[in-house]
Amino acid sequence: MVTREEILKIATLSKLFVSEDELTKLTSDMEQVIAFADTINSAEDSTTEFDNINNLSNVLREDEIVPSIDRDKILCNARDTDDGHFLVKKRA
Amino acid sequence: MSERGNIKKVSELLRGRQISCEELTKSYIDEIEKSNGELNAYVKITPESALETARAVDKKIADGEELSPLEGIPMTLKDNISTDGIETTCCSKILKGYVPVYDATVWDILKKQNAVLLGKTNMDEFAMGSSCETSCFGGAKNPHNIEHVAGGSSGGVASAVGGNIAVYGLGSDTGGSIRQPASFCGIVGLKPTYGAVSRYGLIAYASSFDQIGPITTSVEDAAIVFDAISEYDERDSTSRGKNGTPSATTLKNSIKGMRIGIAKEYIDGVRDDVREAVLGASKVYESLGAEIVYFDLPVLKYSLPVYYILACAEASSNLGRYDGIRYGYKAEHYDDVNDMIKKTRSEGFGDEVKRRILLGTYVLSSGYYDAYYKKAQNLRGTIVNAFKDAFTKCDVILAPTVPMTAFKNGNAISDPVETYLTDICTVPVNICGLPAVSVPCGFNANGMPIGMQLIGNTFAEATILNAAYQYETAVPEAFKSSDFGIKL
Repeated sequence: MVTREEILKIATLSKLFVSEDELTKLTSDMEQVIAFADTINSAEDSTTEFDNINNLSNVLREDEIVPSIDRDKILCNARDTDDGHFLVKKRA
Repeated sequence: MSERGNIKKVSELLRGRQISCEELTKSYIDEIEKSNGELNAYVKITPESALETARAVDKKIADGEELSPLEGIPMTLKDNISTDGIETTCCSKILKGYVPVYDATVWDILKKQNAVLLGKTNMDEFAMGSSCETSCFGGAKNPHNIEHVAGGSSGGVASAVGGNIAVYGLGSDTGGSIRQPASFCGIVGLKPTYGAVSRYGLIAYASSFDQIGPITTSVEDAAIVFDAISEYDERDSTSRGKNGTPSATTLKNSIKGMRIGIAKEYIDGVRDDVREAVLGASKVYESLGAEIVYFDLPVLKYSLPVYYILACAEASSNLGRYDGIRYGYKAEHYDDVNDMIKKTRSEGFGDEVKRRILLGTYVLSSGYYDAYYKKAQNLRGTIVNAFKDAFTKCDVILAPTVPMTAFKNGNAISDPVETYLTDICTVPVNICGLPAVSVPCGFNANGMPIGMQLIGNTFAEATILNAAYQYETAVPEAFKSSDFGIKL
C-alpha cells in the first residue's frame, strides 16, 4: 500500500513538487507499479551476487593534465552567469 | 524487393558518379520537408551542415580519393546523442535550447567519415516510453500507417529510416528502444553487446543498460554501421570495442547446423499473428539447415519488474543533474535555490519521467532498498546465469521483438503497467548486456509489420547478423518498404 504521505516524501527526495491534483493520480499509478514490482519477492534469492555486466572491471588511467573544454563555451548553456561562474540565487 | 536506398546502393551511386552527394542530400532534405509534417520523425533538420559535408564528399570523389563505407551517406541521430553545436533535447522541455559543446564518440567517428547528418530525430522524453508519445514534440508516426505509432523510444529514427527520409540512423536501447520501433516500422534494429559501442556523449537514462546501435533498412547495413561504430573508447570506462572479425564479412556464411533456440516463455502470451510469424521464421531456418532447439527460461517472468526497478533507480540518480543551473530550462519565478531546482524539475519534466524518477527514488529509499533494489540486483544475476546456460544449448535465441504490432496513436495505454508489458520480450537482453537484432518477419492482416529478434551470446553480433542476413535473403518480402520517401 502506497500512501499519499509516502509519495510526498519521495517527491521531496526527488526534488519535485507534486500538486494536490497530481497526487491522487500519482499515488494510484505508484500503487500499481509497486504491486507489479512486488512480484520479484516471490522469487528465490540467487546464490550468485550480480556484480556487473560482461566482467567489466575498474578502469584507471594516469593522472595527467589534458586539455579541457573552454570555460566560456560551457557557460553558454547556462541561463544566468557572472564573471565566468554559474549564477545561483542565495539560499533564503 | 523495394527500391529504397541502402548504404551499399547509395555508395555505389556516389562512387559511380551517377548522382553527386550534394544532389542526393538535397533530395533527402526536400523529402524531409515534404514528409515530416506527417511522420514527425525529425525534431531538428540541419541542411546547411549536411550540404557542406556533401560538397566535401563531392570534392573527394572529383579528386579520385578513396571513400570510406559510410562517406556521403545521409543519416540521422536520435536526439539523445550529443552533437557539438547542434541542439540536443532528449525531446524534453527541460533540455530545450541545450547545445552540447562536444560530440558523442559515435558521432565523432561518423563525422570523421563524412557521414551526412540530416538532423536529429524524435524520441520518448529521455528515452522513457514505448510509443514515442512522451516526446515534448508529439510522437513520430509509423510510415506503414500514420494512424499508428512508430514505437519507442527511438521512434523518430525508425520513422525516418522506415519512411526513407534517412538511409540509416543511430538510436539507443535501454529496454528495447532500438528493436521495438524497428519492429513496428518493418526495418532492422541492432542492440549491440553492452560495451561494444561507446556511450560517451549519450545522455544517460540507465547507465548499466543503455547502448547505442544502428537502425537500418537491411541486415548488411546494420553490420556495416555496427562495424564502423564499435571502437574502444577510453572516455567510456565500460567500453570494450571490437571483438572478433567484422560482422559484415561473415553475413553470407552458411547457417547449416546452427542451433536456434526457442524459449516457450517468449512465445506464450504474445498475440497470435506475432507467434505465427515467429514460428513461421523458425520453419525457414529449418529449411536453411539450422537446428531448432526448444527449452524453458522460467526466470524470464521476473525480467520486467527487475528491469523497471533497476532502470528507474539508475534514472533517478542520472536525472538528478537537471537543476536549471548549468544548462536547459530554468523556472522563471522562485524564492531560493532549492525552490528554483524543484520548480525547474517539476515544470521541465513530463509525467512519465517524473513517475520513473519517483519509482527509482522509492526503491532506493531507506526501508525499501533491500526489498526492491537489492533483490532485483540479485535476480539480475539469476537471469544472467539462465541466459549463460541457454547458450550452452543453442547459438542464437529466436523470439518475438514485441508481443503485438504497432498500436494506434493515442492508444498507448494510460495504465503504466500495461504499457510496461509491451517491453516484456526486449528487456531481458538489456538485463544481461547481450546483443540482439530485430528483423521484419511478416505483416499482420492490417498490413502492419511484425518483427522477430535474434539474441546472441556476449559479443556474438557476427553470429546473429549472419542468421538475420540468411533470413532476409530467403524471405525478402518481409522487408517490404513503406510508400514514403526516397526511392532509388
